Amino acid sequence: MRMHTAGLWPLPLLLLSMASYLPGPAQAQDVDAVRQELTAVRRQLDSIREQYEKRLRELTDRLEQLETRRPAATPAPSPAPAAAAPTPAPTVPLTAAGPAPTGDEPSLREMLSPRQPFALAQPGRTLLFDIGVSGDFVTDFTSRNRERRRDGTFAGRENRFFPREVELGLFGRVDPYASAVVRLSAGEEPAGLEPSDQSLSVKVDEANLTLLALPLGTTARLGVMRPRFGTLNVVHQDDLPQIDRPNVLSRFFGEEQLDGEKGVEAFWVLPLPVYNELSIGAFDGDNEVAFGRGTLRDPLVIGRWRTFFEFEEHGGLQLDLSAASGIATDAHRNTILALGAKYKWAAPGSGFPLFTIAGEALYAMRTVTTEGDDTTPPRDRRFDRWGAYLYGQWDLNRRWAFGVRGDWTELAVERGREWAVSPYLQFKPSEFLRFRAQYKHTEGTGAVERVANEFFLQGTFILGAHPTERF
Amino acid sequence: MRGPGLLALGLISTVTVLAGLFGALPTPDLAAEPPLRVLATLPDLWSITRSIVGDLGRVDVATRPGQNPHDLEIRPSQIVLVKRAEILVRNGLEEDAWIDPVVESSGNPRLLRGSTSVIEAAQGLALLKIPSGRVDRSLGDVHPSGNPHFTLDPGTMPTVSASIADGLARLRPDLASRLEANRREFLARVESRFQRWREVLAPYRGARVVSYHDSWPYFYRAYGLIELGVIEDRPGVPPTPQHLVSLVRQMKEQGARVVVLESWYPPDTATAVARLAGAKLVVIPQSPGAVPGTGDYIAHMDHVVTALAKALADP
Repeated sequence: MRMHTAGLWPLPLLLLSMASYLPGPAQAQDVDAVRQELTAVRRQLDSIREQYEKRLRELTDRLEQLETRRPAATPAPSPAPAAAAPTPAPTVPLTAAGPAPTGDEPSLREMLSPRQPFALAQPGRTLLFDIGVSGDFVTDFTSRNRERRRDGTFAGRENRFFPREVELGLFGRVDPYASAVVRLSAGEEPAGLEPSDQSLSVKVDEANLTLLALPLGTTARLGVMRPRFGTLNVVHQDDLPQIDRPNVLSRFFGEEQLDGEKGVEAFWVLPLPVYNELSIGAFDGDNEVAFGRGTLRDPLVIGRWRTFFEFEEHGGLQLDLSAASGIATDAHRNTILALGAKYKWAAPGSGFPLFTIAGEALYAMRTVTTEGDDTTPPRDRRFDRWGAYLYGQWDLNRRWAFGVRGDWTELAVERGREWAVSPYLQFKPSEFLRFRAQYKHTEGTGAVERVANEFFLQGTFILGAHPTERF
Repeated sequence: MRGPGLLALGLISTVTVLAGLFGALPTPDLAAEPPLRVLATLPDLWSITRSIVGDLGRVDVATRPGQNPHDLEIRPSQIVLVKRAEILVRNGLEEDAWIDPVVESSGNPRLLRGSTSVIEAAQGLALLKIPSGRVDRSLGDVHPSGNPHFTLDPGTMPTVSASIADGLARLRPDLASRLEANRREFLARVESRFQRWREVLAPYRGARVVSYHDSWPYFYRAYGLIELGVIEDRPGVPPTPQHLVSLVRQMKEQGARVVVLESWYPPDTATAVARLAGAKLVVIPQSPGAVPGTGDYIAHMDHVVTALAKALADP
């Protein structure tokens, strides 16, 4: 018992302290005032809630009305907002005055008002990749004979003005570890027998992913690409040093050389004081002129070593050695070796005049099954063929340049050879616009027996982003 | 699959596996305080960074002194420089955007844009000439983010040097105090000379100047000069005769006495404009090192200020 009494003694003290917090008469009046204010606030809140619910109902009704006016299908995307809007458009209440939406048909006012037809990026909304468009238009003037025989440099497009390559390029970083490029191009295909057979073809020139952060300084590309082979293979049609691709490259690989190959390629810049890059790739081998097997069971394998010597004010020299080996459509192996060299000298300061001399030599080893006849059975025959080109270019200033290219090549599998000489003149009003004129005199023997004189004109433009020029 | 194909695929697989293995291995503890290996894209950034780094490392530059960064083409030797650098100092605007494909070709992912190893010198600066309204190539090879030639105003050095020193210290905290000491010493020298340069050009405050390229707005701001016009009114596009006629008329009317030509541009047009307007042509390198003995930022600015003051002083 004693224990219990002793345990309860703090209770009165606790009650006393609680009582001190009870309101006195003055405090009771304050409580009443607060209670009245609370009641008033509650009424206001109820009023606001009613207004809000009423407004929400109106908006819901309005939205339903609008939806019932639209077709059931997904509505077409609305046209881009007007150009160069400096600030985001304010939110306009649907009940506000202004041109009322009238379903799918735009009003006359909407049709007449100026608008930007294509706006992916605008102030405050940045596109996270680059877009570039290039256009390359070529004319090949030549004799009626060449046109009839369709053996000009741009076979099937002689005496025509044609879009050789109009390209849409999208490129940028995918994430911190990779970048990607997609290039779609359209160009005029060689005509059939009738001029009306002309057609444009659209294709995926490049669509590849580059993995940038692999261990040991490895960089790898996978997808559709122009493989690292020789000097000019990675160069697109509109960026070639002359209007046409050198004869040896188009004879051994076709007009666009090795493009659109699907596969994977890895390259390394060796940790040496001088630039040395090794690359190796395995591809389907879709190039029908040189390979054409088109399967990874017999892949086209390409390797390249490239080095560069910097002579500072005396210029720079780049050398490359490449090999491509794959299976042709006749199931025989075709191996092509290439040795390229490029020297450039630029005057100190302005960089002009700029002198370039470059060339490539190719050597092809191919086995072909020759057709037999009554007396001789079909047999395999080895063809070792080679060809080369060399050009020199003198850039007088930013705008004007001239040069000359010499070609000599054997045919890849047929009997015959040809040589050509092509002086040319280049005018660049700006970095993004270029015009060229080129004369080409070709003499061939064997399967390409002819003397051809051609005159090419070219206009090239770049719209938007474009990759930096390389050595 | 045939021989060469197998060989190539085998080689790729082997290299990939080895690369993975090596990548997974722990990095050996290298000697304490290995020297910094820095690459600057442009000579002005190179000279500033060199002052901050001092003897704590090596600073290379991706462009040659006196080389026009606007017309630059990628050279494989730049890839080697990127390959062996651990830190990249870049302008941060479009003037050295060509370094991006160089980095992507180098196999050195540390220097990819956005990485902590990349320092953008323009950070924190109030930039001039940010184009407004519609920006497209009809304006020439315009810099949409603003004029990138900010290092020509010595007043930007506290911010620029802080960006560089902070970036270096972020990657090498062990060197932070020494980098900061070098930076303070550099700033003290710049401040001292800046006072002198202001005195030299003070008599010409308000003078109207024409330049070939739009390289000098920050410089004009620093010394109270007035840009009357630019010969190359659209960057990268040679000027039209109409523009030149109008500019010459304006120069005569407003008494512009000097035409500034950046040393990497051809002199023909600027010479003709100066002659027709009765002005003096002064050829000035825009970046350090183009003239022997001007590899240092302060020596370069000394040269620029002296040359311009001399031209403005001539009757």
